Amino acid sequence: MPDLIWIVALIPAFPLLGFLLNALFIRRERAAGLVACAAVVLSFISALIAIYALQSQPVAAGGAAEGAAAQQIDYVLWEWISVGAFRVPFGFLFDQLTAVMTLLVTGVGGIIHIYSIGYIRGDVRPVRFFAYMNLFIAAMLFLVMGDNLLLLFLGWEGVGLCSFLLIGHWFDRRSVPPGIVPSEAAVKAFVVNRVGDAGMLLAMIAIFAKFGSLSFFTQHGLGAAPIPGFLDPAQVAQAAFGQVDLGIFGSINVMTAITFLLLIGVTGKSAQVPLFVWLPDAMAGPTPVSALIHAATMVTSGVYLIARNHVLFTAAPTTQGWVLTIGVLTALLAATAAVAQWDIKRVLAYSTVSQLGYMVAAVGMGAYVAGMFHLLTHGIFKALLFLGSGSVIHGTHDTQDMRRMGGLKDAMPTTFWTYLIGALGLAGIVPLAGFWSKDEIIGQAWISSKATAIVLIATSILTAFYMGRQVALIFYGKPRDQNAEHAHESGPVILWPLIVLAIGTVIGGAMNLPWFPFLKDFLKPVFETPGAPPEAAESFNYAIAIVTTVLAVFAGWLGWWLYARLLANRIKVGREDPAHRYLGDIWRGMEIAWGFDWFYDRAVVRPYRAVARFLSETFDAQGIDGILVDGTGRLFGWLAQQFRLAQSGYIRNYTLVFLFGVIGLIGYFVFLR
Amino acid sequence: MVPTSYFILLSATLFTLGVLGVLVRRNALVVFMSIELMLNAANLALVAFAQARQSLGGQIIVFFVITVAAAEVAVGLALLVAIFRTKRTTDIDEISTLRG
Repeated sequence: MPDLIWIVALIPAFPLLGFLLNALFIRRERAAGLVACAAVVLSFISALIAIYALQSQPVAAGGAAEGAAAQQIDYVLWEWISVGAFRVPFGFLFDQLTAVMTLLVTGVGGIIHIYSIGYIRGDVRPVRFFAYMNLFIAAMLFLVMGDNLLLLFLGWEGVGLCSFLLIGHWFDRRSVPPGIVPSEAAVKAFVVNRVGDAGMLLAMIAIFAKFGSLSFFTQHGLGAAPIPGFLDPAQVAQAAFGQVDLGIFGSINVMTAITFLLLIGVTGKSAQVPLFVWLPDAMAGPTPVSALIHAATMVTSGVYLIARNHVLFTAAPTTQGWVLTIGVLTALLAATAAVAQWDIKRVLAYSTVSQLGYMVAAVGMGAYVAGMFHLLTHGIFKALLFLGSGSVIHGTHDTQDMRRMGGLKDAMPTTFWTYLIGALGLAGIVPLAGFWSKDEIIGQAWISSKATAIVLIATSILTAFYMGRQVALIFYGKPRDQNAEHAHESGPVILWPLIVLAIGTVIGGAMNLPWFPFLKDFLKPVFETPGAPPEAAESFNYAIAIVTTVLAVFAGWLGWWLYARLLANRIKVGREDPAHRYLGDIWRGMEIAWGFDWFYDRAVVRPYRAVARFLSETFDAQGIDGILVDGTGRLFGWLAQQFRLAQSGYIRNYTLVFLFGVIGLIGYFVFLR
Repeated sequence: MVPTSYFILLSATLFTLGVLGVLVRRNALVVFMSIELMLNAANLALVAFAQARQSLGGQIIVFFVITVAAAEVAVGLALLVAIFRTKRTTDIDEISTLRG
């Protein structure tokens, strides 16, 4: 078999080509959709071939832990930047971690692209949509396949850009349910991401300053001197003794500083506390965008970043603690917010934030495989839920308020069943995928810190509750609106992706069953480096899992029962949730996600706008324009006006001046010379 | 002999009166007359010095000055007549349309 490692270059090349074709040449909706889907499907096939090529790579000799084989493909295209000691190649790294991410991105991405063909029919600008979707896939692939931090950052920024472009797809609409302005939501997403990106950039600078290189692993392929990689455990362990002097703030460990800066980047991109506020508003974009970007791929890049740099994080236990805290806090906080939402996509948005909290908590505990496992399963069932919600929205003629729905079970059966499977998967009901991945994390938590595990269990109870509530509000009871009464099932282009993802949710747990840890073994070469603490062998705690599942089933049933039976008659369009009557301000607090948005609005947005208004209206218009520009003009005008007074037109005045001049001259010549 | 300084003093007085006439009077003809007075005051000073230095040079210059004064008066009166045809007044304060 000839050497196939060049195939890795094709993986991002196809979506990039699709983007160029859609952006420059294609005009019709049908062609745009087909080209976009073909690009992603071809990319998926290339990824499969690349995995085959990866498996047939020779095992690297040095640097391997006992039993773990380091297999990597590092395909360098060209020397991107070469300035003195700063050398960055444009190369693709394809190892096991990249492989699973690539399969997720292209696989789920492909399914979503197919779904989009049906969803975007009749839209005002479909070609732009497909172009940016392909660009997003390309950027995400650069992110996961980059062999150095700079290429990763290129992808990082690229997905942020595409997120902005796609959230603002309907930029001409003044408002989209539930009252968000798409262009403002897009700007919010980008700006909040930017805060994280600033941390990421500082981290890159710090890593370069400390290690002299941005490449993950040592590269040899360019003829010139090899570029050292910074993910060498021995090197990192040694660096962990360094301190950074912060002047009056004391000094901080180098690794803690670097990983903390990386954590800021993760917080922004993966929507953790306190930078999660962009995700709920990002629902202003079309549903496939929410499914792809804000459920399965872009938001998981933070988790990927930590997983990729796990060597750095293992050497910085302080930061690990912060990662864990942020993850757990986010999981709980977002779950409480999801309970109180009445927009169908906002529930799922907060749910995503919460599940991302699970993933971040997992990698914070050092349970990288568990985190990646949950990343994969979540990608599948969250995409399913979002696409299902899209089907509901389509079927009820663009209704998104759950108070207007109800009783759709009979009108949209396929959507109902797939949505139910997705909800059960998210709630973690055996034997669906979510059960295995979520309880893996909880099992790990039980070993490292009981308190963390308790909080995560509480969060999963809330998760089940709000999914039960959502299913009840949408599919059970009586239709509460005209649109719900006349709902129709969606077409096959929309339904088949749902069915495929539902099947994936059911069998997805097989990826990493406790007695058959396929994923864990696959990822062993990546995570079991010398010096890394091994993930606890038997971390899946059956007792805890059973207790959690029973509690989740009960909570899910309770959520369903409250909203389908007990309080069903009190759900009125445009009115508060019935639970508001009993919980009052607590419910209100949950609905506004405990005031983060309100706080940012008061503390950041308004002062910034005030400064901007001051600068534009006062400083610029009055100050610079008025004083410097107009003022100079007026000064000269005034001067000229004063000079004009001398031109009186009276001959006698002129003669007088004439006389003075003569006296002056004669006096000068007579007396001074 | 009359001391030269008396002539110079007279010349200066006449010149000053001429200047004042130009500055103060509004009738254009009077202004022209004052200019003539200034010129003649200068003539007087020149003749006085010529006599004091026993030189004819001063008197020659006087001839030139008289000629120039005559020519200038001709031109000036022509201008005044032209202006009078339009403005129907000899008040120089009325001729101020070239104001800035």
